[in-house]
Amino acid sequence: MTLKIVQQTFELLPQGAVYWQEQKALLLADVHLGKVSHFRKNGYAIPAQIQFSFYQKMEQLLTAHNVEKIFFLGDLFHSDRNAEWDRFVAWNQSLSQQTILVKGNHDILPTKVLEQSGLFVVTEWMEKNILLTHHPTDRSGSFNFSGHIHPGVRLQGAGRQRLKVPCFFHQPNQMILPAFGDFTGLHLLQPKAGDRVYALTGEAVVEIKIVA
Amino acid sequence: MTAPENVKAWFAEQKWKPLAFQLQCWQAYAKGKSGFVNAPTGSGKTYALWGGIIQQALDHPPKKGLQALWITPLKALAVEIQQATQRMSTTFDPNWKVDLRTGDTSASHRSKQRQKPNFGLVTTPESLHLLLGSKDHQKYFANLRCIIIDEWHELMGSKRGVQVELALAYLKSFLPQLQVWGISATIGNLDLAQEILLGSEVHQAVRIVSERKKNIKVKSLVPKNMERFPWRGHLGLHLLPEVVKVVRRSRSTLVFTNTRAQCEIWFQRLLDAHPDWAGQMAMHHGSMNKETRLWVEEALRNDALKLVVCTSSLDLGVDFSPVESCIQVGSPKGVGRFLQRAGRSGHQPGASSTIYFLPTHAMELIEALALQTAIQKNSIEDRIPYLNSYDVLLQFLMTLAVGDGFVPQQLFPIIQRTFCYQTLTPETWQWCLNFIRQGSQSLENYDEYKKITVDDSGRYRVANRSIAMRHRMTIGTIVSDADLLVKYQKGGFIGTIEEWFVAKLVPGDVFTFGGKNLELIKIQNNQVLVKKSKAKKAKIPAWMGGRMSFSAHLSELLRETFYQLEATESKEKQALEPVLEQQKKQSILPKTDELLIETFPSREGYHAVFYPFEGYAIHMAMASIVSYRLSLLSPTSFSLAYNDYGFELLSDTPIDLQGLLDNELLSPQDVIPDLRTGINISEMARRKFRDIAVIGGLVFQGTPSQPIKSKHLQSSSQLFFEVFKDYEPDNLLYQQALDETFEHDMEQGRLLQAFVRMNKQQIRWIETHQPTPFSFPLITDRLRGKMSSESVEDRIRKMYLQLEKDGSS
Repeated sequence: MTLKIVQQTFELLPQGAVYWQEQKALLLADVHLGKVSHFRKNGYAIPAQIQFSFYQKMEQLLTAHNVEKIFFLGDLFHSDRNAEWDRFVAWNQSLSQQTILVKGNHDILPTKVLEQSGLFVVTEWMEKNILLTHHPTDRSGSFNFSGHIHPGVRLQGAGRQRLKVPCFFHQPNQMILPAFGDFTGLHLLQPKAGDRVYALTGEAVVEIKIVA
Repeated sequence: MTAPENVKAWFAEQKWKPLAFQLQCWQAYAKGKSGFVNAPTGSGKTYALWGGIIQQALDHPPKKGLQALWITPLKALAVEIQQATQRMSTTFDPNWKVDLRTGDTSASHRSKQRQKPNFGLVTTPESLHLLLGSKDHQKYFANLRCIIIDEWHELMGSKRGVQVELALAYLKSFLPQLQVWGISATIGNLDLAQEILLGSEVHQAVRIVSERKKNIKVKSLVPKNMERFPWRGHLGLHLLPEVVKVVRRSRSTLVFTNTRAQCEIWFQRLLDAHPDWAGQMAMHHGSMNKETRLWVEEALRNDALKLVVCTSSLDLGVDFSPVESCIQVGSPKGVGRFLQRAGRSGHQPGASSTIYFLPTHAMELIEALALQTAIQKNSIEDRIPYLNSYDVLLQFLMTLAVGDGFVPQQLFPIIQRTFCYQTLTPETWQWCLNFIRQGSQSLENYDEYKKITVDDSGRYRVANRSIAMRHRMTIGTIVSDADLLVKYQKGGFIGTIEEWFVAKLVPGDVFTFGGKNLELIKIQNNQVLVKKSKAKKAKIPAWMGGRMSFSAHLSELLRETFYQLEATESKEKQALEPVLEQQKKQSILPKTDELLIETFPSREGYHAVFYPFEGYAIHMAMASIVSYRLSLLSPTSFSLAYNDYGFELLSDTPIDLQGLLDNELLSPQDVIPDLRTGINISEMARRKFRDIAVIGGLVFQGTPSQPIKSKHLQSSSQLFFEVFKDYEPDNLLYQQALDETFEHDMEQGRLLQAFVRMNKQQIRWIETHQPTPFSFPLITDRLRGKMSSESVEDRIRKMYLQLEKDGSS
């Protein structure tokens, strides 16, 4: 699914990331790394393997697209420092791409620690009238990409079909990205007039028909 | 006044004559035996047991400390028993007091009980486990002579029963002389009930039966001249005048409802109809605060109330002698439960109990007939015990670990002595140990999992204080939706309410709770702040609660009743007549050897409705299997609905019923593999998993008074279910969710029989143009399952979203 927004070209990818063609940049939100370890450290036996799905998905994305910059739109790391952080640092330092973190509310590690990993840390990023933030932000003259919400929708169909799926939520001046992390959950949204919804099916990104 | 010489003398002082079964109990107890007493409520069972204990204490003066432990399933019962037992024992020795310990007992009182234990303790399975999870508990129990499990029939079919099994096996491991006594009302599998409770001693143990049989009468509330009975509906309010008549002519009446919502509505409507009853009627359900509930129970006993509208919260044992009539609103879903409720009335010796059945819709009239037959024949269903409940075992291991710790090699044989875990293998045992120790089955060096530490002597302990505290708060196997406290803004606690209901309200909304109209001010810190409202119209909280299925037993009775319906003459049949006429006009009334299938299109899609009359749980499995088999013919998506009479498949494309018949898709062959393969399974297991995750300690819900503090640790069992499905499908807790769905809810054997029966029946496929009276309750059911063989992409491409309505908030 490719969209033209303020003269820029964005590809919505089935993994839940956005590829910004002109800037050769990958945008992704709400990875929540470290959450699994944080739970386990507190005695909740979540499958430890989940922590690796991020790296698998990133490898797919970086192989399929020509990426120079990776923007994390907040909530990259959901914990104070633990073993998962060390793994992320090692991965980050092995990358040739530049990684930028737009800080989110769950990123509670000190900025200094974040920067030591090789991340460039900002509170927001503006380029070509595209505003990258963690919280959805309405600012005139710019189009905003954000995260934070973990958007999902409950679809309905004939024969009382119902299905809950994660989605990209496109409002007139902004696009909210789905959560990239696997242990994150959904927040259900309902579209208003003028909104568009692109659902993640696992294999593809599908625009959903919206009826009155 | 001097103390009576012995228990018999005490009985004489009360002007009582011991009943034969009471004498038998005392004798057997004096011989040091364990036993099993089959006695209904109100038969004098408390003193049958307590008399033996007191006589023994008189004959062999006890050492200091706790002598007798009485386990009861309900807090309300606990109060009653504590009073009765203490009354008897303190006449003999003022020091032979009996303590009460439930979730309502204050922390300071609990620690006093711990330091200076009294002669007896009345408690619940949960509180007993808390005691086993405290330091030095073996010292506390050192002089315990006897443990009594009351109302075992209530506990046995639930995971609380497993808790009792574990506690018994554990206590007996260091108290070899412990006398174990069970008390149970009559159930279908009484022998098994005794075996589970008494374990290896079952052969030396005695069975004592109280011969008092209660005379129970069942009457249906059916108006003489009613145009047409509603086809569906769950409130039954159209029969309110009939209820009023019963209440008027009875000294006092209990109205049993199946849900708390029903309870609130009935209370409100009865009050509206009879404002003059205001001071004499009350409501009783589990969400109300303790003081109010206790007040209602006390008032019932003291004959101060004319009418109480209640839920299962008043089901058990408590003796309310003044209660003259019981009314059951809607299906009780089981013969045992119905009898129990009937037993609430006519407690006075020799009195007969009358229970009125109030059918809320037409089909329940058939049920009324089936229930009458069941009660005539005194035929009551089995309680099915749980097997290999890993969640309860993991919880128990943690409970021991927060107390004195445990050594696995010593504990394993003790666990294996229980009925529930008799087939536990060393491999599975190791799995459980690994799970609590390292949170997984392989030890990874990067992992920081922390829960249990193993000390040098090989003892498993919890070192972390916050983990220990969290565990103590979660001991128990009753899982409910997250509850919020309801409080007046000015102060004053009213009760608890389920979060999802409150989530639908906005400040200013008025809702009915505990019979009062309350206006929502705000929700903060998991508290719902309200003020009294004068508004006439209010929203009524709809508590979810589990949907119950007919027992196998009642299904069978129902089927028989249904197939013989044409030949019966009764007022129920008469009331049903217009509905049957309508059904016959549009479709047919199936006979014993016929399976009715109705198909029709509607605005929603294409419906196919099957009527095997097997009960809700079996229909759920059947719907899953039949829809799965159909979906193999061509990619289709189904929405499924089920009730106790039949099930419905709904699709957006015409359903290939001819294909179903031609390919013999109702065959009993491969039923179980098809059930396992059906995608629908994980849907059904999801709900089971929620409870398992909470009991097994995977998810911490917090408690109303102590919600989860750390936002970083919030998560839902839904999310856990998804990640286990994707990342760790061999996890035993995840597997248990699947197994419970099959074995406990569906009973594979029964399912197979149902398919065999269905396969022998002649298919009567009727194409109608609109819903029939039989299909109507099914197609309007909102609680649905799904089944699909289409790809997610294909399904999503056909689906749509609704625009948010303007001005909605």
